[in-house]
Amino acid sequence: MKNATILIIIATIVVSVGAFVLVNGNVKENPDEEIKGNNIQEITLGIKNYNYYPNTITVKEGIPVRISLDKSVTGCLRSFTIRDFGVAKVLRTPEDYIEFVPDKKGTFTFACSMGMGRGKLIVE
Amino acid sequence: MSLKLFVKELNGNRVEGELIRTILYSLLVSFGLLALLYFFKLRYIENFMPKYGLLLFLSALSYSILLPSIRQVRAYKEFACMSGMMIGMTVGMISGFLAGFYVGAANGMFYGSLFGMMIGITFGVYNGLCCGIMGFMEGITAGFMGGLMGAMSSIMMINDHLKAASIIMFIISSFILIGLNYMIYKETKENERQVNEDYIFTVFASLILTSVTTWMIIFGPRGGIFS
Repeated sequence: MKNATILIIIATIVVSVGAFVLVNGNVKENPDEEIKGNNIQEITLGIKNYNYYPNTITVKEGIPVRISLDKSVTGCLRSFTIRDFGVAKVLRTPEDYIEFVPDKKGTFTFACSMGMGRGKLIVE
Repeated sequence: MSLKLFVKELNGNRVEGELIRTILYSLLVSFGLLALLYFFKLRYIENFMPKYGLLLFLSALSYSILLPSIRQVRAYKEFACMSGMMIGMTVGMISGFLAGFYVGAANGMFYGSLFGMMIGITFGVYNGLCCGIMGFMEGITAGFMGGLMGAMSSIMMINDHLKAASIIMFIISSFILIGLNYMIYKETKENERQVNEDYIFTVFASLILTSVTTWMIIFGPRGGIFS
C-alpha cells in the first residue's frame, strides 16, 4: 500500500471519529429553569485563611441557590465552579452571581477554576 | 533540500518509510479498543461523550503521532549526544505534556501531573538512552516538567476554552514530533539501520497506553475540583 493511500485512510479515520465525537460531545443542557417567587437561597462567600469562607454551605434540594462573592475575594478565586451542577462563571464584581437549582442530594465540591480555593456544598 | 529527500524517503525502504504506517496501525488499535469499550461499557456512562469523548480521541491521536518517533529511534539505536539529548527532551516533554493535559482535565492537577510525569519520564528515558546518560537525564527532566506543565495548563483552562486549547496543543505537539522525525532523518541519513522490527511494539504500546489512559480518565482517582 502506498503512503498516499495510507494517508487518505488515516485522514478518513480521524475525520470520521472526530466528527462522531464532536456531534455527540455537546452537553445536553436542560432548558433554563425559571426561578419563580422570592424563594431563593442566597449565599455570599468571602475569604478567610486563603480559602472561601464559609467553606461549607448547606442548602435545600430543589430550591434555587444564588451565590455571590464579596469584595474580599480576588484573583483566580473569582472564577467560581461547581462541576456537578455545571456551574462555571467568573464573578467579576460582588454584584455578579451564579444561580442554579440543586436537583440532587449529596455533598459536592465548589472551587475556583484552578482548585486552589475549595469548599463543600451539602444539598439536603 | 533534505526536507524534500525526507518527504521522498517517507515512501522509501528505510525506517522513515514505515512512519506513516505506524500511525495507521496505532490509530486502528487505539480506536478499535475505544470502539469496543464504547459499545460494551462506556456509552452507558452518563454524559460520557461531552465529558470524556474529546480527551480520549485526542489521547489516542497523540499516542499515534508519538510512536513513529520511538520506532525511528529504536531503528538506529545509537545517536550522538546532542541528538540523543534532543530526542530525550522532545519525546519526554511532549508525551508528558499531552498525557498530563488530558488526564489533568478530567482528574485534577495532582493525578494529571502524576500520570503525565509517569508517561513523560518513561518515554523520555527510554528514548534518551540512545545516547547514554545525557539523554537519560534530559528525558527524566523533560518528562518531569512536561507532566507538571500539561496538568497545570489544563486545570488553568477549565473555564476558558479547554476543548479548543486541547486541539491546539495537539496540533502544535504534532508539528514538533514531525520536526523530530525530520531531525532524526537528517542525523542518520548516512547510517545503516541497526534494528529491523515488525509492528508488534506499535500495537502493544498503543494498546497499553490507550487502555491505561482510558481507565485513568474515566475510572481513575480524582482530586481538587473533581473530587
